[in-house]
Amino acid sequence: MMKNNEALFEAIREALVTFDVDALKKIVLQAIQRGVKAERIVDVMSEGMGIVGQKYESGEYFVSELIIAGETMKDALEVLEPYLEEATDGKLGTAVVATVAGDLHNIGKNIFVTLMTTAGFKVIDLGVDVSADRIVEAVKEHHPEVMGLSALLTTNLEQFPIIVEKLKTEGVRDAVKVIIGGATVTEEYARQAGVDGYAKTAIAGVNICKDWINEDQT
Amino acid sequence: MMETRDRMMAVYEGRRGLGVVFQPRIKHWYEVNMAAGTLPNKYRGMYLDEVYQDLGVTPREVWGPGGASSEFAGYLPLQTKEGGDIEVWVKQTHGLFYEAEPKDYLITEYRTPAGSIRQIQRRTEYGTSLYNAEYYLKELKDIEVYKHILHERRYVWNRLRYEWGAKRYGNQIPLRIQLPRSPLLWLMVGAMGCQRTVIMLWRHQREMERLLDLLEEQFYKMLETCKGKSIVELSFGDNMHQDMCSPPLFKKYVLPFYQRIMSKVHEMGMYATSHWDGFVKQLLPLVRETGLDGLECVTPLPQGDVTLKEMKEEMTGMFLRDGIPAVFFCPWTHLKTLEDHVKKLLHTFYPRLILGVSDLVPANAAIERVGFVNKIVEEFNASL
Repeated sequence: MMKNNEALFEAIREALVTFDVDALKKIVLQAIQRGVKAERIVDVMSEGMGIVGQKYESGEYFVSELIIAGETMKDALEVLEPYLEEATDGKLGTAVVATVAGDLHNIGKNIFVTLMTTAGFKVIDLGVDVSADRIVEAVKEHHPEVMGLSALLTTNLEQFPIIVEKLKTEGVRDAVKVIIGGATVTEEYARQAGVDGYAKTAIAGVNICKDWINEDQT
Repeated sequence: MMETRDRMMAVYEGRRGLGVVFQPRIKHWYEVNMAAGTLPNKYRGMYLDEVYQDLGVTPREVWGPGGASSEFAGYLPLQTKEGGDIEVWVKQTHGLFYEAEPKDYLITEYRTPAGSIRQIQRRTEYGTSLYNAEYYLKELKDIEVYKHILHERRYVWNRLRYEWGAKRYGNQIPLRIQLPRSPLLWLMVGAMGCQRTVIMLWRHQREMERLLDLLEEQFYKMLETCKGKSIVELSFGDNMHQDMCSPPLFKKYVLPFYQRIMSKVHEMGMYATSHWDGFVKQLLPLVRETGLDGLECVTPLPQGDVTLKEMKEEMTGMFLRDGIPAVFFCPWTHLKTLEDHVKKLLHTFYPRLILGVSDLVPANAAIERVGFVNKIVEEFNASL
């Protein structure tokens, strides 16, 4: 039975990695009919998303493939929804993500959100042009392990130290690791901003966040 | 100023020996600081052209689309005329639309016999630029409306605007026309949004490809309107970024478009460039196949994702416009970093270089750095 299920699981991963949404929906239902728990199927699909992430990291896939993989999984989740008994996201921890006040750029942030979600984080995406007050409020409300901040415009980079300072004033700075990114953020600037990490790309950012979680667990 | 024109023509034509032109875009810096009341005293009350003159550098975009972020919004010879059965309604709100977060929104609605579509844009902090909060094309039925608009759309030449612009700048810098983004980027950045474009291409490929064809036709109409005018360069405002337009999408939709249109551009005796201001490392190896003559704004490390060496290698036979990361004009970057970069850039790309800032001078730039770079350029030119 386990062996048979493994063949099914492999077919689920394969359908997800190749974005074959019709096949995926069929196999997912087959798995349910065989008595596999919906939560287990979600795990297998997450493994498929992990493979998509690896392909992105190696340069075989691009952001467009990440988007399509996300859509494929979303369609399959709709099929699974009636069978799900518990929430399935956030095994690795919680992350609050935002583009800072005054900045409306969202491509980099959205890629980061997608990759963090597929990596196993529960992501609270606050959107773009988010004030320091709102960000700190979200930290107090959701108790995230990680906070990801993005800015593209050089005029908005000054928001990073303002947010860090506000986290300190509100007594929650030590409760959360702060990582920043955005094309105009340089290592030189990040050093001055008082944050815990800086990443040139979304995937590098996710890896840093995963390392932080792993460090905390060891 | 004739010297500037000659130097730029040499770049287009691939000649050497006439020196480098420095063309930083300062309109954004000027407008934000004017709105914020932080313009240096000496520039208060000056026109933008006078600030350019004071800094000893030349402006760039003379015949732009006339939008908020256009470098010179006044000279708009290529104008869009909508069809007779199409109504365009525009309104501005002050916090009426999103009550939770009052901001200024610009709402544009097209009403046509095929239905209506609506776009909502938001102004940036000082109102100098616009961003989409809602795109025209949200679902399949919107595409049909847009197709009707595109079918009916014409492009006309505004002779008076053109002649005024030519009189003001034509002898100083070669005439350049700003065109829209190429079809796929037109959708990704302008009409549909990146994520939705990717999803719609995946779910509704045939309908989307028909729309892309129709967008391409717009460029042939525009080229027809440009025929016989003394235009030297066409600039496609692509905002290319590999995280939006991946290499597979580029190969499938962007490359064939450029290959088709560039043969026509060259037949008409013009040059063309495209604005690549994102991460482009994975796209650069494909750029020569486009037939484009040059690229604008390719941003080197640490702001972009490519080295000057990689840019040079992949752009063999092409010219570069810009090349200095904008962040180098911010006060927290060491001046020596800027100096070393500019010198390396000049030596790497000359004579196929129109020097500028990738993308533009930031609002919080140390503006005296423009003069600092200009001095390096003058020394370089004197050494030739």
